[in-house]
Amino acid sequence: MIVRLAIKSLRNRKFTASLTAVSIALSVMLLLGVERIRQESREGFASTVSGTDLIVGARASPVHLLLFSVFRIGNATNNLRWESYQALAGRPEVAWTIPIALGDSHRGYRVLGTTHAYFDHFRFSRGRSLEFAQGMRFSDAHDAVLGADVAQALGYRVGQSIVIAHGAGDVSFALHEQQPFRVSGVLVRTGTPVDRTVHVPLEGLDAIHAPEADASVEDPLAAALRGREREDSAAPARPITAFLVGLKSRGAALAMQRLVNEYPAEPLTAILPGATLQEVWEIVGIAERALLAVSVLVVVVGLAGMLVALLTSLSERRREMAILRSVGARPVQVFGLLLGEAAFLTLTGIGIGVLALYIVLVTAQSWLAARFGLYLGLSWPSVYEAGLVLLIGLAGVLIGLVPAYRIYRYSLADGMTVRI
Amino acid sequence: MLLPADRDAPDCIVDLTDVRFAWDGVSASAVVDIRSLRIARGERLFLRGPSGSGKSTLLSLLAGVAVAQSGTVRVLRQDLAALSGAARDRFRADHVGFIFQMFNLIPYLTVIENVMLPCGFSERRRANAQQSGGSVRDEALRLLNHLDMAQSSLLRRPVTALSVGQQQRVAAARALIGAPELIIADEPTSALDADRRQAFIELLFQECTREDATLVFVSHDAALASLFDRTLEFAQVNLAANGAAA
Repeated sequence: MIVRLAIKSLRNRKFTASLTAVSIALSVMLLLGVERIRQESREGFASTVSGTDLIVGARASPVHLLLFSVFRIGNATNNLRWESYQALAGRPEVAWTIPIALGDSHRGYRVLGTTHAYFDHFRFSRGRSLEFAQGMRFSDAHDAVLGADVAQALGYRVGQSIVIAHGAGDVSFALHEQQPFRVSGVLVRTGTPVDRTVHVPLEGLDAIHAPEADASVEDPLAAALRGREREDSAAPARPITAFLVGLKSRGAALAMQRLVNEYPAEPLTAILPGATLQEVWEIVGIAERALLAVSVLVVVVGLAGMLVALLTSLSERRREMAILRSVGARPVQVFGLLLGEAAFLTLTGIGIGVLALYIVLVTAQSWLAARFGLYLGLSWPSVYEAGLVLLIGLAGVLIGLVPAYRIYRYSLADGMTVRI
Repeated sequence: MLLPADRDAPDCIVDLTDVRFAWDGVSASAVVDIRSLRIARGERLFLRGPSGSGKSTLLSLLAGVAVAQSGTVRVLRQDLAALSGAARDRFRADHVGFIFQMFNLIPYLTVIENVMLPCGFSERRRANAQQSGGSVRDEALRLLNHLDMAQSSLLRRPVTALSVGQQQRVAAARALIGAPELIIADEPTSALDADRRQAFIELLFQECTREDATLVFVSHDAALASLFDRTLEFAQVNLAANGAAA
């Protein structure tokens, strides 16, 4: 009876009730969304490097090296010499290495020069290796293997030709047009930056960057840029940006790191991906906590809005309560009516919020991935999220106690006399 | 003015003895101080008094919303003070129907739902209504029909769009549904114009007779007194009112 009354009473105040529920929904959505992004980005970051013991690059800050080599965030400042790479890769503790050469792009997607070792040894998400959705590895210097997003977004299939541009921007004037690459394969989606990468063999990059490639000059600006590039790359015969190292025994990692950092021939930096990721979290952590605090506050504001809406409805509803008392409603039932409304509003708000969050996740998933490299999975709410939701629900009911208690006091004091 | 009913009659619906009540609990400032008040079954009592004479407090005592600090309030031979708060609420739901001065209806319920409301709080009245009308809804319709309120155009309208007179008739149907023994009407006609007033009271009498209900009708309007079996000047019943009035 009281439940039916509560629902009808809410329906009567549709407008304020739905506004209240929507504000709670938005705040729940924000909080859960922020949490989801926080967790998924951590997990995404953590799953991007798996099985790699060391990352070696030219002298740079560890965080910077990690970000550009694995996450394609930022640009390499320096290359390292091929000789250094070969010397380090040949050391007995090293099981495998994957050389990486960055610096070119294809229609906004990074081009990564590497070797077959990439397909053999690269691991992500707790040890998964790369698989091909279509085609196969490079068999020629001018073959390219596309990440799943690149192929999907640009509509490329195996056998198509693509042209690589110099530099990492969306629009580049210096196209390596005379040496197109042929798509030889497309990788299965990984949920890591690999999906947004165009992989080409190192030999292919050598070829397009080689001086002979300038034979036919089509654009003075491109020519100028290429000229500068040639000067830059004059010292290393085949510049690579970094390389990933797998060791025979993980225990050797620290010793190997020291060895690289003290490498006499060239200033180099080696990082342990896990440890450096931890540093990234420490930097990001402050912003994360601030974001979390703000979204918690938004939930508090949402619930406070409900409190205000319920409290302002009380004075006009004292008459209603007097009528209910006259037909035999107990003060406890009047109390329950208000508490029920608060609980209903909170639960509805949470329900809509969670639903809306998933709708946003579904619709914005690919955009977020393409734009920010943020892979938000559509997993079921985690125990932690369920706990958050439960906490919000509990807070809503607790807040409902305030107006419920007031109307309870009113209905005890007023009885059936209606004070207007 | 008729004499009060026989003191030892078993059919005494309301029996107040030495009742004192003060809102703050101090009997020196009592708003109700009644030596004796009896109302017989089937009686139609007109209780006249100016506002502020403690009438509403007396109704709260009869309804068991307030409990007297001393003396006994018996309704249907039940001493209300002997019941717990929840039991008094149930007692009221089962045995008493109310009509207020105005704004009787819950705005978000339909006419029918407003009439059916007491049956949601009282098993007894639901059972009575089902027995009488077949279903609670049919009984509500039957009562509304008797009160000339069953036209579908009226039933569909939101209760806030009804005229005051129509609202009061819906309130009367709600008070009567499920055949409670006691109907308490607190200034139910004060918002009606004079000719509507008499028509409403006659309808109310007719239905009280049909449902075998006792009617306590409170008003300040002495002009209505002639319609009733018995009229009590509240100032004479309530000793506290004399002091307050003076």
